[in-house]
Amino acid sequence: MGSTNTPTDYLPIVLMFIVALGFVVTTMVASHMLGPKRKTKIKLDSFECGIESHGNARLPFSIKYFLVAILFVLFDVEVIFMYPWAVNYKELGIVGVIEVFSFIALLLVGFYYMLAKKAVQWED
Amino acid sequence: MLNGISINYYILLSAVLFIIGAVGVMARRNSIIIFMCIELMLNAVNLMLVSFSTLHNDAKGQVFVFFIMAVAAAEVAVGLAILSMIYRNIKNIDTDLLSNLKN
Amino acid sequence: MKGLLIVSGLGILAMMAEIFKFKKLLFPLVLLGILGAYVANFMEWNSGFSIAVFDNMIAFDKVALAFSGVILATAFFWFIMANDYFEDMPTVVDHFSLVLFALTGALMLTAFKNMTTLFLGIEIMSIPLYVLAASKKKDVKSNEAGFKYLIMGSFASGFLLFGIALVYGATGSFDLMEIRAKISEMGSGMPSFFYAGIIMMLIAMLFKVSAAPFHFWAPDVYQGSPTVITALMSTVVKTAAFAAILRLFMIAFGGVSESWSMVLASVIALSLVIANFSAAVQTNVKRTLAFSSISHAAFMLMVVLANLRSNATLDALLYYSLAYSIGSIAAFGIIYNVTKNGDETFDSFNGLGKRNPLMAACMVVAMLSLAGIPITAGFFAKYFVFTTMIGTGYKWLLILAILTSAVGVYYYFKVIIAMYFKQATTEEPVTIELSQKVVMILTTLFTLALGAVPGFVAEMFKF
Repeated sequence: MGSTNTPTDYLPIVLMFIVALGFVVTTMVASHMLGPKRKTKIKLDSFECGIESHGNARLPFSIKYFLVAILFVLFDVEVIFMYPWAVNYKELGIVGVIEVFSFIALLLVGFYYMLAKKAVQWED
Repeated sequence: MLNGISINYYILLSAVLFIIGAVGVMARRNSIIIFMCIELMLNAVNLMLVSFSTLHNDAKGQVFVFFIMAVAAAEVAVGLAILSMIYRNIKNIDTDLLSNLKN
Repeated sequence: MKGLLIVSGLGILAMMAEIFKFKKLLFPLVLLGILGAYVANFMEWNSGFSIAVFDNMIAFDKVALAFSGVILATAFFWFIMANDYFEDMPTVVDHFSLVLFALTGALMLTAFKNMTTLFLGIEIMSIPLYVLAASKKKDVKSNEAGFKYLIMGSFASGFLLFGIALVYGATGSFDLMEIRAKISEMGSGMPSFFYAGIIMMLIAMLFKVSAAPFHFWAPDVYQGSPTVITALMSTVVKTAAFAAILRLFMIAFGGVSESWSMVLASVIALSLVIANFSAAVQTNVKRTLAFSSISHAAFMLMVVLANLRSNATLDALLYYSLAYSIGSIAAFGIIYNVTKNGDETFDSFNGLGKRNPLMAACMVVAMLSLAGIPITAGFFAKYFVFTTMIGTGYKWLLILAILTSAVGVYYYFKVIIAMYFKQATTEEPVTIELSQKVVMILTTLFTLALGAVPGFVAEMFKF
């Protein structure tokens, strides 16, 4: 890699974009044109595992879903702090292990708090 | 290091993203979209930190991005919790309806 | 450092209090813990040497220890004052642990040496406060306060981070000392986005301390939050934020003060005028105190603006934050007791001089101190700020500050007039808990003592 890049160096990327976009557009247009169309009321209904659908799809979710989702995001994101440790595992040595385990211990305190508060208990 | 693209373009791109986010926070009325705009602002910063980190050949900038991501998750968790509480009380999340505090 | 560890450990302990069934013991434990942190702090101060820890990210030097002392002392009084409000709640342990985590963040802000710890400190302090502001679940006003605080807080964080990123881009470091060294090495050769970064960080910090024109959220948040949480926001958070501003702009950006001093000077002037004139027309006591806190913020910013590289700066800011915090705790404690029935207008103070003379007397001292009338701590606080400003080129700000303070006296006296010269609808005496009485008397005595012997605190840094 040098600093001598010119706009023409990006030509392959542009070509790839055009091809990718072209493929999608062509197949969509082609299937629309070629396929037979028989529209009946049942065919236009939204399909859900053969069960007749009723009501609006945009109903508020139960708060339990929300709680689980939020807790998932929180504990999920904390994992990123382990990546730098994993990459430098050998260099950091025993000090790194102690630091990461104290971090995990603190996370576990939070996890235990979550369980004790019955945040993930579904049955009342 | 930055594949020949000048650092100024990275700054410009993240500045544009940041401004889109900031304008969104001020102009939009749907609370969820406001949160998305705040996330956009933070991610613009992340982009800039990562590009500077590559420019300086220094990993500290990338570690800072980790902290921003973790904190942003915590902030959004609290924000959505407050929002769901508001929804329970007034059955709406339009910020125009939140104007009960005045002299 | 030990203080920070004790407070954060205490927060985790508080979280577990309900699960391990020592809920009843929690309040004395928290008070003991805060006292312990204070003692540890004091011993570190006396031992006289500080070590930087975590790869030079945090260092509890004398300045940090002094501000931590102010924060811990305020927090101690706050816990005694607020216990009455939390006592009967089913979620008392969660509230306490949130407050303790916010305190952890505040202590971090006094001692950061690195942009990472600055950012983490601000967020650790702010996120629990968003929850606390919205903690009255059924009250739409409290929800709204929490929501506004959250949006404005994260908006400001975005600006802070953008500023940090730009400064990092220009200097290649997050370390305050390294940034300082880089600035003196490069001189005027810094790229222009570096200065943009400084201004963005300044704006973010001004958002956090609610200086005009970035103050619009403060009155709403102060009004909607539960009164005890408002007390926490206007004391502990303010002190921590100012310790952070002082550290950031003295250590890291002190060498390029010409790039930010003009912005800061205009913000101070705007804050003084807007805060004092808006406060004068408010009818809600908590909103009035919100505007009053904006004008106090302007005074504390003056110390940063003076940019004197001497101990006088530290003394002035330390004394001001102590005087203001103690005065505010007393004032909010009394407001909490008076407005228990839900009426938060000035009329709720009518006839308090007859209904509870002790409380009224304490309120008078608190108001006089906040207004800066002689012999109280508030007077000397303003006096020390003025002495740091005299040698600088901002004498016009000094004159503006004195003029607007005169307006300030008007709204502080509105409370006093209501208490002694207005007729109450009921003659029924206001009764308060013993713990509340203790806090009121202690803070009042402290305010008077600080005013009587100002040298006690004001000369801490003359070593």
